[in-house]
Amino acid sequence: MPVISINKRYLYSLVGQGIDDHKLADYMSKLGFEVENISGDDATIEITANRLDLLDAIGLARTLKNFMHKSKRFHYEIENNQPALDITVDRSVGKIRPYISALVAFNVEVDDNVLLNLINFSEKFCETFGRNRRKIAMGFHDFDAIKGPLIYKSGEDLEFVPLGHKEKMSFSNILENEEKGKQYASIIKSPRRCFYPALSDSEGPVAFIPILNSQRTRITTATKNIFIDITGISEYAVNKVAEVLAASFMDIGADVRKVKIKRGEEQRLTPEMEKRYITIPIKKAEREIGVAIGYNNVISLANKMGYEAGMLGNKIKFRIPEYRLDIIDEQDVIEDMAIGYGYEYINPLPIYYSQPGGLEERTKFNRKLADIMVGLGFSECTDSYLTNKQNNFDKAGISDDKSAIMLKNSNTDTITMMRTWLLPSLLNNVGKSGHEKMPQDIFEIDMAFRAKDRKPFESYHLAGVSINPKANFNTAKEVVEGLLYAAGVKYRISELKHGTFIEGRSAEIVLEGKGIGFFGELHPLVLKNFGIEEPGIALELHLESLYPKS
Amino acid sequence: MVLPVHKYELSVLDLLKEHRRMNLDELVSKLHLGKDKVMWALENLKEKGFITILHEERGKIRINREGIEYVRDGLPEEQLLRALENKKIYVSSLDEKGKIGFLWGKRLGLIEIAGGTLKPTARGREAAKNGVPMGELLREISKNPDDHELIEQNLEALSELSKRKLVDLDRHTEIKEIEITKTGAEAVHEGTADPIDQIDRGVIASGSWDARGFKRYDINVKVGRQIPAMKHPLKRLIDQLKDAYVSMGYQEISGPAVESSFWVFDSLFVPQDHPARDAQDTFYISNLENADFKNVPHVKTVKKAHQKGWHAKWREDVAGQMLLRTHTTSVSSRYLYSIVNDLKKNPDSYMLPIKLFSIGRVFRNESVDYRHLGDFYQHDGIIIGKNLTLSNLFDELTKIYKFLGVKIKFKPSYFPFVEPGVEFMAYYEKNKEWIELGGAGMLREEITGVKRSKLSVLAWGPGIDRTLLIKDQSISNISELYNNDIGWLRSRQEV
Repeated sequence: MPVISINKRYLYSLVGQGIDDHKLADYMSKLGFEVENISGDDATIEITANRLDLLDAIGLARTLKNFMHKSKRFHYEIENNQPALDITVDRSVGKIRPYISALVAFNVEVDDNVLLNLINFSEKFCETFGRNRRKIAMGFHDFDAIKGPLIYKSGEDLEFVPLGHKEKMSFSNILENEEKGKQYASIIKSPRRCFYPALSDSEGPVAFIPILNSQRTRITTATKNIFIDITGISEYAVNKVAEVLAASFMDIGADVRKVKIKRGEEQRLTPEMEKRYITIPIKKAEREIGVAIGYNNVISLANKMGYEAGMLGNKIKFRIPEYRLDIIDEQDVIEDMAIGYGYEYINPLPIYYSQPGGLEERTKFNRKLADIMVGLGFSECTDSYLTNKQNNFDKAGISDDKSAIMLKNSNTDTITMMRTWLLPSLLNNVGKSGHEKMPQDIFEIDMAFRAKDRKPFESYHLAGVSINPKANFNTAKEVVEGLLYAAGVKYRISELKHGTFIEGRSAEIVLEGKGIGFFGELHPLVLKNFGIEEPGIALELHLESLYPKS
Repeated sequence: MVLPVHKYELSVLDLLKEHRRMNLDELVSKLHLGKDKVMWALENLKEKGFITILHEERGKIRINREGIEYVRDGLPEEQLLRALENKKIYVSSLDEKGKIGFLWGKRLGLIEIAGGTLKPTARGREAAKNGVPMGELLREISKNPDDHELIEQNLEALSELSKRKLVDLDRHTEIKEIEITKTGAEAVHEGTADPIDQIDRGVIASGSWDARGFKRYDINVKVGRQIPAMKHPLKRLIDQLKDAYVSMGYQEISGPAVESSFWVFDSLFVPQDHPARDAQDTFYISNLENADFKNVPHVKTVKKAHQKGWHAKWREDVAGQMLLRTHTTSVSSRYLYSIVNDLKKNPDSYMLPIKLFSIGRVFRNESVDYRHLGDFYQHDGIIIGKNLTLSNLFDELTKIYKFLGVKIKFKPSYFPFVEPGVEFMAYYEKNKEWIELGGAGMLREEITGVKRSKLSVLAWGPGIDRTLLIKDQSISNISELYNNDIGWLRSRQEV
């Protein structure tokens, strides 16, 4: 979930009277977010992934003002349908980054707060919702520096002075040598070729999409009018983001104008600021939440959550705020009703229910086995399912039979596969506890994994280890016989050669002609590999064939 | 009456009862206790009147330097007598030793004076051949200085020798014999002197405890703590949680940990470009075939929901990727799908609501270190029914956690598959803060493919580890739970 850092002074100035640190934390929590730190100049707040309109101070202030019943602004319309600028979309971008939307905000008082907020918002937004610019990227420009109209096209390896640079650089040079170029190059590269999408005016590139803007059109505190381009691979997303931005600029008093996007014969204006309504019977909302909201409260509750709403018979008609790109249908609106009502006021209501519950047969059997093992003096362990070849095979004295389920992309060197058996985990545990009193008797009942014919197989195992100066094959057999007798398993013992055990001191446990496990005296080399200094015995049982058939 | 009798005393009494009367050396050698302990026991037993100690006088002889010379050469009177056999000796010519010999010879009637010369008597002449008795004794005793009888028989002569400073005679009292008294013998016989220490078969069979009583133990004695074998605290909590679910009418279900993206993400309306699916957060498998969905008609519902809800293409090959589940909600999803399928065919195939739960391991591709783990436990609950409400969800969760002794509260939150979304928290006394336990909510219609007015589903999927942290304040961080340090396991207390 995105975590934002917002200048408190700026935020509070946007909200106006009635807000302080304590209230901010309280309201955020009630809205479903979490203030992580509020002690300094900035407030650090965790925003849920659906509410990307709250990634900037302006959007956050708007939501707070609504929640505090301080605002009457529930929707954002752009009356003037004259486009401020035209953008022609060339077919060449179709393969790599087909969609663009844009808007122009006139008469913006660009001070440090506004500038910082814009930068923070755009970075956080492109990183999260924009999936690190792959899905969405945006650029801010000084509108007056643009010699329009613009063309959005992918083609030649052009040159321009990128933002923050003094010298001209070619696009290819940027991808190879510039910091942002290197960071985002993969977005515009296909296995066969590299694309160079660019937004250009009559003087050349305004932006190398989605890598860098031009130094020529950069925003400074002298900027009055801001042009914003949004490019991406989802038409819905680029259009909605333009609406989110439009709302924020309108909130700080800007005059927002549309931009005409021309794609062949097709023309459209962004941001669309389309009016959306969702109508919900009040009974339905009440039934899903499990509270009585009442006709008298429902409008005020809708306003509190930022909706303009009206009664339509026994239904409520909600106008969906333009900046709410997370509202898919009535389910989302009902949630907002619940949030507005307050989760803390929703009283638990029992479900009347009279069917018996029950455990899986495996659970019952595993519990029985665990009880027996504890009775035999073994303490239970809980180990990770994740391991590596060295632990699972090499140290345990057996060779890799290529049956392990391998991880493709682990972030940790020591984790490369799923364990195929449990014993190495237990040996590892006693290996690091040599200073503890002997005997050390431990067991685990949990899962092991294998791949067969490229399909996964998961099964429960029981493993036990006893490290004890007096351990030998006979003591191992005593444990196995005690366990299996008490568990009611009829079995046979046959000879077994197994790298973990001393030859001639290990055996297989056979049930109906099938090996279901083994036990024996641990080989001194294996003991040594795990750093164990005393003799020991071990057993491992495959439980799947022991479970009662249901 | 029970007299306190120490076990050393008891050993002595037992032996004496058998022999009635013994000397000290015999007693000591038979008891193997060492002389000090036996002496201590005898002293105590004598005071209790259980034994009589018979003493005797003992003498010890040490021969002085002069004595040693006389052993070799004979006493001066003997030397003088031998000299008189061959020559005349005048009184006036006697040297110092000769004078001593003359004085003793005269006193013993062995030598006379006749006209200034020394003359042996008849006895003197005999003594010149055979020695005088005192000389005999000296020679004898020099061979056996410890001969107790010799000393006792010649006490008078020895005291003479002692007066002549030829020997030192040392006499003292020693224990001669020990005899058990009548009371002592009866005490052993009746067992009154024998309080029971370690109970054995004999004690139980004889019923002798009334007469003997029991030895008292020092209740403040330091002993080593016995280490019990125990279930792992996390598994114990899982047992408790399962019992909580069952007591509320839930049926346990389970499903694969190595799962397709479809059941972990797609079927739960998580968009295909959602960051949670990134390789950065989720373990993918390199050596398994992609899942195929030929027999899963549900794929169509999922595809439609994604295209409508997320305005993006939906790819079956992305859904088929195999991974390690990031939540156990995939288990709920599999069951939900088949139940909804059954209900569509026959609305009466189940009695609603249906309550299910599963508990299993989930995985996160974190950089694993001593604090962060790649896998941990989660539990997942689901209720499928009609007209279920958010307030019902609050009630179920409150009760499940109440069973575990944990009080929870709710706040809004967001997960792609629930709406309304809920996060619930518990108070962590140790850090004086509310900590997040997990997410919950009412499943979206997109997941069931059925309108909520017909079927609603409540679901939750919190972790388990933090609940244990709240219940057991001795656990300082979650990674301890999976470390299995044996010292740590042995220091656990059941909570």
